Amino acid sequence: MANNKEELLKQLADAVVDMDEEKAVELSQIIVAEGIDAYEAIEKGLSAGMEVAGRLFEEEEYFIPELLMCSDAMYAGLSVLKPHLKAKEGAAEEKVKIVIGVIEGDTHDIGKNLVKILLETSGYEIIDLGRDISPQKFIDTAKEQDAKIIAISTLMTTTMDGLAEVIRLLQQQDIREQFKVMIGGAPVSQAFADKIGADSYAVNAATAVRLARQLTGGAA
Amino acid sequence: MAFEAMTPLERMAAYNKGAVIDRLPCVPIVGNTAARVIGVKVSEFQGNGKLIAKAQIAAYRRFRYDVIRIFTDLYGQAEAMGAKVYYPADETAYLDVPAISNIADIRSLQPADPYKDGNLPQHLEAMKLTLEAVGKEVPVTGAITGPFTNAAFLIGTENLVRLVGRNPQAVHDLCELSLETALRYAKAIVDIGCTPSLTDAMSSGTIISPKQFQEFSYPYLKRLIHYIHSRGKTVTLHICGKTDKLWDLMVDAGADSISIDNVANLLEAKVKVGHRVRLMGNIAPSEVMLQGTPHDVRVAVNQCVQQAYDSPKGYIVASGCSLPTETPFVNIDAMMDAVRKIGDPVNSEKSKKRAV
Repeated sequence: MANNKEELLKQLADAVVDMDEEKAVELSQIIVAEGIDAYEAIEKGLSAGMEVAGRLFEEEEYFIPELLMCSDAMYAGLSVLKPHLKAKEGAAEEKVKIVIGVIEGDTHDIGKNLVKILLETSGYEIIDLGRDISPQKFIDTAKEQDAKIIAISTLMTTTMDGLAEVIRLLQQQDIREQFKVMIGGAPVSQAFADKIGADSYAVNAATAVRLARQLTGGAA
Repeated sequence: MAFEAMTPLERMAAYNKGAVIDRLPCVPIVGNTAARVIGVKVSEFQGNGKLIAKAQIAAYRRFRYDVIRIFTDLYGQAEAMGAKVYYPADETAYLDVPAISNIADIRSLQPADPYKDGNLPQHLEAMKLTLEAVGKEVPVTGAITGPFTNAAFLIGTENLVRLVGRNPQAVHDLCELSLETALRYAKAIVDIGCTPSLTDAMSSGTIISPKQFQEFSYPYLKRLIHYIHSRGKTVTLHICGKTDKLWDLMVDAGADSISIDNVANLLEAKVKVGHRVRLMGNIAPSEVMLQGTPHDVRVAVNQCVQQAYDSPKGYIVASGCSLPTETPFVNIDAMMDAVRKIGDPVNSEKSKKRAV
C-alpha cells in the first residue's frame, strides 16, 4: 500500500509534467478511491509536478504553451481532490496571501496568470483581481484579506505610473510597512522598482516565486 | 538642428556599398510619439491617414532619423478581420475582443481586403502621402504584423498558446488566414512604392520554443518574405523579447535585417549571425529612452555601437522596439546626436590604420 501510494503520487506529478489532463483526473480519482489523503496528493503529486514544470520553464525546456497545459492538468486534478480535503488541515495551515493583478489601463494578463499559477502551486493563497485594476483596489483587497504581498504587473509603459501610485497611496495611508510590493512586466526593471520604492522586481514567473519566499521570510 | 551631409537614402546607399558615410544609420523607432510632434491625441490617428502622414513627416523632419515606419499599433490586420480594438483617448490602442473566441468559429473569418477593411486603407493612405512628401530622401516603410502574432489577435493570445499544444492544425489554419491578409497588405504597400516592415511580437522566444517557432511561425514568415523579395524589396524583421535561439531561423526565413529587443544581446547576435544578416538594435525603449536621461542615452548608444559597428553585414543603431509615446524629445535628439558624434566608425578605423 505504501509503495502503491508513493507510486500513485509520483504518477500524478508526472501527469502534470507531461501535460496530461485526463491522466491527472484519472489518477486523482484512484487516489480518492484508495483513501489517500487529498492534501498529501495535492502537495506531493500536483504541486510537485508544477514545481518540476516551473523549473523546466526556467531552464527553457518548457515555454508558455507547455506551462499552461501543465497548469490545466494540475487544476483538473485539483478539482477532483479539493472536495476531499479535510477541513482541519485547511485551518491548521494558514497560507500566506498574495493579492495579484494587472494595473489599471492594461489588459495583458498572460504574464500575471503564469506568476499566479506558480505562486499558487508553491503554497501561497492567491487573490487574483484580474486585469485593468485601480491602485486603490489593490490596497483595499490587501487590507481586507490581510495579504502579505501585493504583486502588480504591467506590459505597457503608459501604465507604469500606476505601479508607483500603489506605493504612493500606501505611504499616504501610512500602511506602506504592512505590505511587500512586488512588480513585474516588460517595461519595468530593477531600476524602476528602486525608483518607485517597490520591494522587489521579478524578471519572470519563476523568479517571482523565489522573491515571494524572500519577502515572506521563507514562509510558504 | 545639426547639419547633415547626406540624406537617409544617400547614407544607406553609401553604407550598403561600404563607402564613406557621414554617420551610421540610426532609427529611433517612432510610432505614436509622432502625435506629440504635431500636438495631437493618439486616438486622432484612428481612421485618419492624412494625420498619420502629417505626424510622421513632421517627426522625421524634427529628428532626421533614417527610416520612417508608418505604425500606430499591431492590431490593424486583426481589426480588418473582425477583432475589436479599443482606442484610448491619448494612448496606444489595444486589443479589446479577438475576432473569434472559439476555434469552431474559424469559418466566419475571411482574409482582409486592405483597400476596404478596418483602418488598413487609411494606413495605406498615410504611407502614400508620406512617400510623396519625403520619399525621395528617406525610406518609407509600412508595418505589417507577422502571421503568428496576428493569429494570436484573432483568437486571443492565451487561446492561441494553448492551441499550439492541443490543436496544431487550428494554429496553422489561423496562421494561413493571417498570411493571406499579410500578403494582400504587403502587395498593397509595395504597389504604393513603400517597403513592408515586419513585426512579429508573439513569435518570441519569451513565449514559444524554437521548435514551435519553426513549426508555426517560420513557414509563414518565409512565404511572406519570399513574396516581398519577389517584388524587389528588402525585409526588416522585428521580434520582441528573447530571440537568441531564433536568429538563425529568422535569417533562414529570408530577413535582410533583424531588429532585436533590448533583452537580447547585440554582441552575441553579431558573433552568431552578423555574417548572415544586418543587425538593428537594441537601446532599451522603456528604461533608457523613456525613463533615462540624455546622458543614459549617449552611454547606451556608445555601448551598442561598440558591440556591433563592425558586424559583417552592417549595423543600424536603433531602439530595441517601438518607442513609448511619451519618450522625451531630448532623448531622441540625444540618440541622434550621439550617432552623429561617432560618425563613420568603420571607415575612420580604416583610415587610421592606413595612416599608421
